[in-house]
Amino acid sequence: MAQKILVVEDDQAMSQQLCDHLENAGYEVYAIFDGGKAVDAFVDFAPDLVLLDWMLPNKNGPEICSEIRKTSGTPIIMLTAKSDEDDIVSGLEAGADDYVPKPLPSFKVLQARIEARLRPLRTPDVSELVIGPLVIDVLGHEVRKNGERVSLTPLEFNLLQTLAEKPKQVFSREILLEKVWGYPYTADTRLVNVHVQRLRSKIEDDPDNPRIVVTERGVGYKAGIF
Amino acid sequence: MLKGLASRIVTAFARSIQLRYVTLTVVLSTIALITVGGFLSYSIGNGLYETRIQQILQESKRAAAEVQNTLSGAGDTDTVALQGLVNTVVPNLEQSTAIGSRQVALLRTPDQATAQFLQSPISSELNVAVIPDSLRTKVVQTENRLVYRAVNIVRNGVTQPSVIVGSKISIPVAGEYELYLVYDIADTQATLDFFQRTLAVGGLAMILLLGLVAYFVTGRIVAPVARAADVAEELAAGSLDKRLPERGQDVVATLARSFNKMAQGLETQIGELSKLSKMQQRFVADVSHELRTPLTTIKLAAEMLEAKSGELDSKAKRSLDTLLSQIARFEALLADLLEISSYDAGAVKANLVRTDLNAVVGGAVAGLEPLAETLGCDLLVKVPKGLVEADLDPRRIERVLRNLISNAIEHGAGKPVEVEVGASANAVAVTITDHGIGMSRSQMDRVFDRFWRADPARKRTTGGTGLGLAISLEDTHLHHGWLQVTSKPNLGTTFRVTLPRKEGGIFTESPLPLGETLSSRSRI
Repeated sequence: MAQKILVVEDDQAMSQQLCDHLENAGYEVYAIFDGGKAVDAFVDFAPDLVLLDWMLPNKNGPEICSEIRKTSGTPIIMLTAKSDEDDIVSGLEAGADDYVPKPLPSFKVLQARIEARLRPLRTPDVSELVIGPLVIDVLGHEVRKNGERVSLTPLEFNLLQTLAEKPKQVFSREILLEKVWGYPYTADTRLVNVHVQRLRSKIEDDPDNPRIVVTERGVGYKAGIF
Repeated sequence: MLKGLASRIVTAFARSIQLRYVTLTVVLSTIALITVGGFLSYSIGNGLYETRIQQILQESKRAAAEVQNTLSGAGDTDTVALQGLVNTVVPNLEQSTAIGSRQVALLRTPDQATAQFLQSPISSELNVAVIPDSLRTKVVQTENRLVYRAVNIVRNGVTQPSVIVGSKISIPVAGEYELYLVYDIADTQATLDFFQRTLAVGGLAMILLLGLVAYFVTGRIVAPVARAADVAEELAAGSLDKRLPERGQDVVATLARSFNKMAQGLETQIGELSKLSKMQQRFVADVSHELRTPLTTIKLAAEMLEAKSGELDSKAKRSLDTLLSQIARFEALLADLLEISSYDAGAVKANLVRTDLNAVVGGAVAGLEPLAETLGCDLLVKVPKGLVEADLDPRRIERVLRNLISNAIEHGAGKPVEVEVGASANAVAVTITDHGIGMSRSQMDRVFDRFWRADPARKRTTGGTGLGLAISLEDTHLHHGWLQVTSKPNLGTTFRVTLPRKEGGIFTESPLPLGETLSSRSRI
């Protein structure tokens, strides 16, 4: 069965081109032009991935992003014409997994990003991982903290699992970009910073003094030792 | 060290208006007080002395008369009785005075025919040598009048101001004698000293007080001026909302009001200017932004066609190639626009890395060899041996060089383009010289302007964006370096990039000359 992609892009020509390329690549595509209808379309269509433009009528990209994130961890890639650094960060903070700047270098680049997000998670070596109060059920894709279920997006789960599998190892941001995001080259390390923050806000008692995902100053991140 | 101190004092004076005025006040009041005090001291001293002299003269007159009368009235007594009389009456004078002690000497006038038989009575504490000979001569020559002189007598190491009064005494039988009365006027001197001391202490206190008063008064006058200076400084530094407090109706308040009015005007003007400039920058950024989506769409469409290019006939295929190359050009222009607008927004930071400039030049040249070959242009590269290391952003500097070299190839009229690297202790440089049509003076002045083209009608091969040199200039300035040009019509153009070796390094001279290659080559 073909994987489903929801394209939210108000420029119809652009949307048309994107859809044609995506269909050629073998995806089932559903296009939405109005930001206000994006969340309903998401619920109806139940896509495997969302391509989300930044500037949209009625509701902008980051707003849609955070609404989807309330109920779902479905991968979201933002298409951003914004060059302003702060804007990119605010989009990621709203819950986007990745972003691709406009103009696209080529469709192949976008396709690679989509494939990286839709790739099934690695087959784990063990069925359960533990960091302090956190129990990660790797097979069931579930995280429990003190017996209570914590809802993580696949990306956040992947990030946590990667850190938890090698509890003593410090992962640099570049390594995490490669392992979790699937970037074959150095990319924007803010992706890592923002998602680590989001992950911490869900699993840490005090996100400002993290104990589960610890920052190793000047190097990267590692799982906390309990 | 002394010189250092002197220069510090000079600096302090130059800096502080208050210090200058306080010093001036102190100096002027010192002069005034010395004048007044000197006059007072002189006239009071004089008065005291005169009064004392009058007193002394009266006393002396009485004493002399007493001695003369006593001795004259003695008649023709024998010498023993006369000696006795003299011995009684003269030492008596030591005590009988209303104004303290005096010393007495009755001396025989020298060079007299009569024999001396009287012993001269002299006060025990008096050394006759203190009586000057000139005084004695004068006493002898003066009839019926007292002669006096002020002298300092040193006794037991102490100097005592004294007055010696002399008068002639005629003693029957015994002959001519001189009576000397020596008065100690130390008490008068003490009074005068006390007065002068008081005057000096008072004067000193007065000067200090005046200095203090001057300090406070000038302080009050200078303070608003100093505040105005501070606020002006802050305004100049960019805090445009700073104002002076406006109090009262005096000249200082007027100054504050005018100053504030001026500052207000300045703030409004600058605010409007920066708003305008921001709007313009926003406009460029917005336009560039708006272009991104359509460009992406066109690109996606062209990519779709490209995937099917096997199915197109040759003309359609050529159209597709044109489409793809123009999209690339459009994309380059958009990238340049975005680059320049981020420079305008001040959002660019250099990523300085220790880099071999030769390698950067090599990279730029290698990338342009295909273009040079197409246009039949030789690229002559001259680099120093070994590494030419400098702190630079390799991506930006390679972009600068690529841009300059491709310009040179394009405008070089097929003649060789020379690229030379030079280095000194503080700087590194690259010159790029072409021998094409060159530029006039007025063209040279505009060469770094955005979208300016030397010859709009000329065919363009590389499809430059018109922003290349403007961005190159910004890139060079980001490194705190120079980008300079010299050109001669029909002879060619040289661009020179000079960069500091180290981040924040200072250089005053480029390692390479500008334009010498141009002229030397032109002579051949």
